[in-house]
Amino acid sequence: MNLRLSAVIALGLATAVAQPACVDVPEEGKPVAMKTWVDDWRDEVIYQVLVDRYANGDVNNDFMVRPGALARYQGGDWKGMRDKLDYIKNLGVTTLWISPVVKNVETDADVDAYHGYWAQDLTQVNPHFGDLAELRALVRKAHELGLKVVLDIVTNHMGQAFFYDMNLNGKADIYIGGTGGTSPVTRVSEFDPDWDPRGVQAQTSLGLAGRAPLVFIDDPSINRVPPAPGILGTARAYHGFGRILNYDDRAQTELGDFPGGLKDVATENPEVRATMIDAYTRWVELTDLDGFRIDTVKHVEHEFWQVFAAGVRARLAAQGKTKFLMFGEAFDGNDQLLGSYTKNGELDSVFYFSQHYQVFRDVFQRAKDPQAQRGTRQIEQLWNDRQKNWGDAPMPGGVGVAPRKMPVSFIDNHDVARFLFEAGGDKAALRNALTLLMLEEGLPCIYYGTEQDFSGGNDPANREVLWHTGFDETKETYQHIAKLARIRRASLAIRRGDTKVIWSSDHTQGEEDAGIFAFERAGGDAPQGYALVVLNTNGRKASRTAEAGRAMKTSRPNTTFVDVLDPRRATYATGPDGALSLDLPEQSAKVLVPQDEAP
Amino acid sequence: MLRNDRSDPEPRGSAGSDGCMVIGRVVMSRLLPAALRSPSLTSGLVFGMLSLLSAVARADDTSAPVLPSGPGAAGQSAPAPTSQVAPTSAAPSAPANGATLPAAPTATAPSVDGTHPSGPNPGAGQTKASEATSAAGQFEFGSYGRVRIASDLRGGTGRLANVVAYGTRIDEDSYAELEVRRHDTWTTGDQGIRTRVVATLALFPGFFHFTGRPDQAIGVRNLYAQANAGRFNLWVGSRMYRGDDIYLLNWWPLDNQNTVGGGVGVRLPPGTAEGGAAAGGDTLIAFHVGMQRLDNIFQTQTVQATAPSGFGVVDVFKVDRPRLIESLKITHFLRNSDGRTLFPEGSKMGLKVSLYGEAHQLSAGVQRDPLTEKDRALPSDSGFLIGAQVSLWKGERDTFLNLWVRHARGIAVYDPLSVPQTFANDYTTSGAHETLVAMSGNYEVGPLGLMWAGYLRSVRDASEAELSRDKYDEGTLVLRPNFFLGNHWGVSVEGSYQLRRYALINQEGDGAAQGGLTRFGVMPYFSPAGRGSFKRPQFRLVYALTARDGGARALYAREDVFSQRKVEHFLGMNVEWWFNSSSYP
Repeated sequence: MNLRLSAVIALGLATAVAQPACVDVPEEGKPVAMKTWVDDWRDEVIYQVLVDRYANGDVNNDFMVRPGALARYQGGDWKGMRDKLDYIKNLGVTTLWISPVVKNVETDADVDAYHGYWAQDLTQVNPHFGDLAELRALVRKAHELGLKVVLDIVTNHMGQAFFYDMNLNGKADIYIGGTGGTSPVTRVSEFDPDWDPRGVQAQTSLGLAGRAPLVFIDDPSINRVPPAPGILGTARAYHGFGRILNYDDRAQTELGDFPGGLKDVATENPEVRATMIDAYTRWVELTDLDGFRIDTVKHVEHEFWQVFAAGVRARLAAQGKTKFLMFGEAFDGNDQLLGSYTKNGELDSVFYFSQHYQVFRDVFQRAKDPQAQRGTRQIEQLWNDRQKNWGDAPMPGGVGVAPRKMPVSFIDNHDVARFLFEAGGDKAALRNALTLLMLEEGLPCIYYGTEQDFSGGNDPANREVLWHTGFDETKETYQHIAKLARIRRASLAIRRGDTKVIWSSDHTQGEEDAGIFAFERAGGDAPQGYALVVLNTNGRKASRTAEAGRAMKTSRPNTTFVDVLDPRRATYATGPDGALSLDLPEQSAKVLVPQDEAP
Repeated sequence: MLRNDRSDPEPRGSAGSDGCMVIGRVVMSRLLPAALRSPSLTSGLVFGMLSLLSAVARADDTSAPVLPSGPGAAGQSAPAPTSQVAPTSAAPSAPANGATLPAAPTATAPSVDGTHPSGPNPGAGQTKASEATSAAGQFEFGSYGRVRIASDLRGGTGRLANVVAYGTRIDEDSYAELEVRRHDTWTTGDQGIRTRVVATLALFPGFFHFTGRPDQAIGVRNLYAQANAGRFNLWVGSRMYRGDDIYLLNWWPLDNQNTVGGGVGVRLPPGTAEGGAAAGGDTLIAFHVGMQRLDNIFQTQTVQATAPSGFGVVDVFKVDRPRLIESLKITHFLRNSDGRTLFPEGSKMGLKVSLYGEAHQLSAGVQRDPLTEKDRALPSDSGFLIGAQVSLWKGERDTFLNLWVRHARGIAVYDPLSVPQTFANDYTTSGAHETLVAMSGNYEVGPLGLMWAGYLRSVRDASEAELSRDKYDEGTLVLRPNFFLGNHWGVSVEGSYQLRRYALINQEGDGAAQGGLTRFGVMPYFSPAGRGSFKRPQFRLVYALTARDGGARALYAREDVFSQRKVEHFLGMNVEWWFNSSSYP
């Protein structure tokens, strides 16, 4: 046998065997061409997902997972989400808001960064959730199903990357002590010292010693290493004033560290601003995302948002991506403050925290407590306030909708206790609240697990593992949301129409109209269509859309309506004056559309 | 490189007791299939082996034919595989050999008194009821080793740079084995049984003179006893049990078992062709069963429990699930013989074909999760491996060609000295598979020689994700021309390329991550044992230049200089030896 011939044959055979099965990344994980997937963001319904809690599609990234310990990683990942997008699609929501994707400090004080808000490297993915190709595959699959994807980002702070060397000994210390005399016992952590307007001070037994050096930690075992990219790994990128003590103090709010030792970034630094724009816009370019949900916006100065939003919009628009949504989270019930971030070219919208408190907490969660419940007049008042407090014109290069017409509404989220926890398990209240959420003006946002009646208390109890439910689509609340989504989808008026409140009341006791709230959706950006939403928020009695013989007046006289929320599709008619007197059982709603428009 | 048979003559013995052979075959044929299905039948396998032991003990073959030699044999110097194992690599297992019968001692020197731990004192002249048994024995020492020291020409030490599982060995690290054997021949009348006890200690770097640390990493590789009688052999113990390697890659691509277990082998004599002519072939059949229970909570875990009485705690086994491995290898040799000319007349050429298979089982268990302190189930797992080898040798100057193909599935994809790192979502390795083709060879003529080796290998883990660092393809090609300068000097020149491609996205985000490197080396050497690519010892100067592409650099952490440097230098000296080793004869 000819040896050389044998070698050639062997190599040829080997090549033939190996080539057809050559390993590769899946097609959906390859580079994407960006495009605009949204016509009008008001047509969307957001579904907020903590990736770690949604679905575990790959056990091989279950690093440091502690099942059942909700302050720790649970194992969810992007593949799990991709595998379970049908569950989201069937729910009727249209946009995913996914928790942050960037690499985090792994753990701190025995709590893990499963939520993603402890960024360490803004250029790398968090390997607990997959890699870039898997993230791309998720976004691509979502787009194929008609879903959009919004990414949660943080510019205010990074993870706990350094300590303040207050005693100049070069190591991180935690002191507990006092003088032994009249001073109280104090606890000072060099990881998270209190606010000091001079900047956190170094101090020796002889007195103050100037600004405490910021010492970056290098502990690769938990990825507590200097942040990246670029300037974020230097002291120049941080304020160094210590932890916020007074949230009403603007300086502390904007310059102080976020509780837990999350170091406040010097967002006024032009280099930092450029870094943030570049780092986060890059994720859009890499994956074709459709928007940002931006964390802790009230802790960053307005000028940053003007520069950041404009920078992101311009860079994306130049690549064909327009109507890129940016909405912020200002964890505050002050509607004026919320609205302030929707002006001057800043954000397209903000989380409607004022509504969370004044409507879903005061009116819906307290439905069974006549002393605590607030009348529906408060809803009308808040909505009216929004017209004054929020931006009345679309952001330049933004999504094309005035912010006041598109608040991002929610009943609960990952930072507050779930609705059912606060409402004592009152599912009727939850479903009634969902009716308002889905049919009011703006962009509704549903926190994952709401459809499964999750009822966890405050963080992390409100961050339950969804896959334990078996993704049950038969749950009553799931079906209720799906139905509301169908109604919303079928009605241009509900999605884009203006709002006119036609009945509200201060009554919460035994009055005839106690708890009644009614509003029309029509006109504005919806040239056709009409919908009338009527709710009884009272949790103890049936109520009527009338008081002392005065019935609710609609803007549609002589019209026969169908209650599209009613499985029996009951009909109601208005007279020549448009009056409509409806009896609504406790915690119920009617969604009336003209019979000739009913789907 | 093909394993080389010892130069010692094979034992002489009779054909053995047919009756015992039948018993052994029946037992094995009934037990094997069931055992392959269930680890619980280990005891059955052991029982079958004991039956064969009975057959061995009663064998009286004193005229067995000389063992067929593999390539590189035929009285030449041994091609020397190395035996570094990779306990932490995810490399698929290399199954066991057993094709070649272990060699027996040739000397008939009187035994040393009282040193055999379990047998009779060889010099005591013990007697049976009917016949006296005489004994003769000796001790032997053998070794394989290599020691190197090198600089990276930047003030650091020379360093391994391979990106594939089995890359070129020109820059490989030090390793040595020290082996002591005891050989005895037990003769009763005209019946002879040979035994040997083999103890091999492996020394892993770094060595004291380099690290300054007196604690030396030592592994017990071989510690087994073997009996040969006629066509049969039987062994029990801890053993490196493997077939032919690829010298240039330091790799056994088909079978490489490192278990504690036992095995039996039989050599079938040449058949009888038409007219009574010899068929010119021998067939070796070897079966082995062994276990490994690595010190890893995947297979072994102890937890503390409240003492059953009194105070305190006791340790209890929480996880105890050894991997059980059975292997079977059938090798058929073809050479010219009386009445049959398969190769050019007068040629020493030979051909062998091996078929090989393994079955692996891992039982279910319950593990205490060290993070949560909660119990969680570990499912049972299994796998198999099949493969084949074709070898052709010239019979002169170590000239040969080896070809392999192998396919593994399930847990058999993973080297038994490592545990899987990725799983299907049910925490099994179901769906994992590996396929490889490999070749190696050597050709020498006049003052020139050429060694070559290469392989292509596809590995897919059981992960249900399409993206995984344990889904990859890799391959390498190595060419090493040798220029023999007189009998004792020479220069080796080596060129190689290697590439691994992952089902992961690269740093640029535009395709699969892959890393490759090209290496060129020059190795002048001194060979006291004479001319030849496989003559040892060999004293070398080594220079190797490695050019690593961006993908290869990206495989290293940012803090690692290998993530930044495109070119690596390796300049050092190196010595490699082997002599009288059961693993590297």
